[in-house]
Amino acid sequence: MSADDKSARPANVAVPVPDRRERRRFLGALGGLAAVWAGASLYPVYRFLSPQPAPDPFGKEGRAVVEKISPAEVAQNGMGKNGGYAGRGVIVFRNESGELKAFDSKCTHAGCNVQFQGAKLFCNCHGGTYDQTGKNIAGPPPRPLTELRVFEDQGLLFVARLAGPGKG
Amino acid sequence: MDERFAPVPPEAEESLPPPGTLVGQGLRALLRRYPIWPVVAFFGKKRVPEHRDTGWYALGGIAMLFFAIQVVTGILLMVYYRPSQPWQSVQRIVTEVPYGALIRSVHHWSANLMALALFVHLFSTFFMKAYRPPRELTWLTGLGLFGLVLFFSFSGYLLPWDDLSFFATRVGIAEMEKAPLLGPWMADLLRGGADVTVDTIGRFYVFHVTVLPLLVIALLGVHLLFIQLQGVSEPDHFAALPGEKKRYRSFFGEFLVGEIPIWLFLWGVVLALAAMLPRGLALEADVTAAAPVGIKPEWYFLAPYQALKLFPGRLELVGMAMMGLAAGSLLVVPFIDRATPSDARGRLVAWLGAAGLVGLIVMTVWGLLS
Repeated sequence: MSADDKSARPANVAVPVPDRRERRRFLGALGGLAAVWAGASLYPVYRFLSPQPAPDPFGKEGRAVVEKISPAEVAQNGMGKNGGYAGRGVIVFRNESGELKAFDSKCTHAGCNVQFQGAKLFCNCHGGTYDQTGKNIAGPPPRPLTELRVFEDQGLLFVARLAGPGKG
Repeated sequence: MDERFAPVPPEAEESLPPPGTLVGQGLRALLRRYPIWPVVAFFGKKRVPEHRDTGWYALGGIAMLFFAIQVVTGILLMVYYRPSQPWQSVQRIVTEVPYGALIRSVHHWSANLMALALFVHLFSTFFMKAYRPPRELTWLTGLGLFGLVLFFSFSGYLLPWDDLSFFATRVGIAEMEKAPLLGPWMADLLRGGADVTVDTIGRFYVFHVTVLPLLVIALLGVHLLFIQLQGVSEPDHFAALPGEKKRYRSFFGEFLVGEIPIWLFLWGVVLALAAMLPRGLALEADVTAAAPVGIKPEWYFLAPYQALKLFPGRLELVGMAMMGLAAGSLLVVPFIDRATPSDARGRLVAWLGAAGLVGLIVMTVWGLLS
């Protein structure tokens, strides 16, 4: 007898045959674990890339100061101007009946800022046209402009939501 | 023979410079260490069929020339561009940095010419029917590259942060937002909020200088590998010729050398355009001001721009669906028109493509003139 025969397995001991199903189950479990692992790692990435909720433009007081338009610039009937509030565009004007009106200038079509042109509010991007009540009257816009409440306080103009709190 | 080294294959011996020369010696030393001759032979077998339409085969290479110019000028612009002071840093590039205005204008013009070259490449391969089996995936990767280039243009357009940048991006994303289901979510993710702000610049900058270049290089590699594996497509009139009448040019020899004068000429064109028609910088973006009078997108977005004006109110979704359908039909062309040589259906597809091309040109010119 050679030395090799001594190390050979005795004939009566079963040789473990690799079970394909068991192997597949193991690999499946490993894949599942890897997927959970990847998901757990990607969630912070997703949250990292997701935008933060924007702050309320009208703040706690329910109003925002109008920039680039002074009360004197809308003192008389027919006077109006493009300006801004809280990082957005606004149009403030005094209509023919002496009423002070304000609209968020973001066009309801594709989001350009529309321009105050006296009788009409006009968008230079795609030709959207609104009348002095903010109603879309020509071009592609699907909806009227968002109207804002506008008022003067201590020499400054403020805008607020049409129906909402805010002194004025 | 030292057995640590591989032998130089006999085919290589035939093509290499004589072993007495320095280059010949160096290349043999390299081949003995790294036996890459099969790779060299693989690339060497690419050949270009010679026929009346051979000129169109140059378009892909021309687009790659412009892409190379974009990479080099883009890297140069990154040296001075600051995403935290976008407009001011571009103003500095244009007014203070030596040759800054020229390099920025080259970047602008080369981008435009790349888009033009890709339009011609797309339509020339379309009309030569190169998309038919077995080249479906070459066509689809090409369309993917075209989409990436449009996204490149869109993202680069915002970076100077002038009036044009701001409203172009606002409109572009606002349209995306109207897409059903994922539209609003994707729009918010792209903008980094409900509106276009400096946060949007950070996102677009990352896309423009890292994500998109990596994607383009990867997809371009696949696109070129497919062509290398299958050979250049032959139009029906060439494929029908008897074998002895078919003439070919080796790609990495004659054809590429023939392209060099074209590339030199086009580089001259880019430089001349950049010098004579430098890219302007409008006023810094003012998020509160009205959009400037006469604002228009770049020429390659004029067709959808014109469509936006034509479909008022709720009809807009119809217009968007029609444009999506036209673009989407390019994706399915290789699975509809499969016959070689072309049959009645193939001729119909060619006519539809011609109609689409005419429509695209009409809408573009209309948008330009309106």
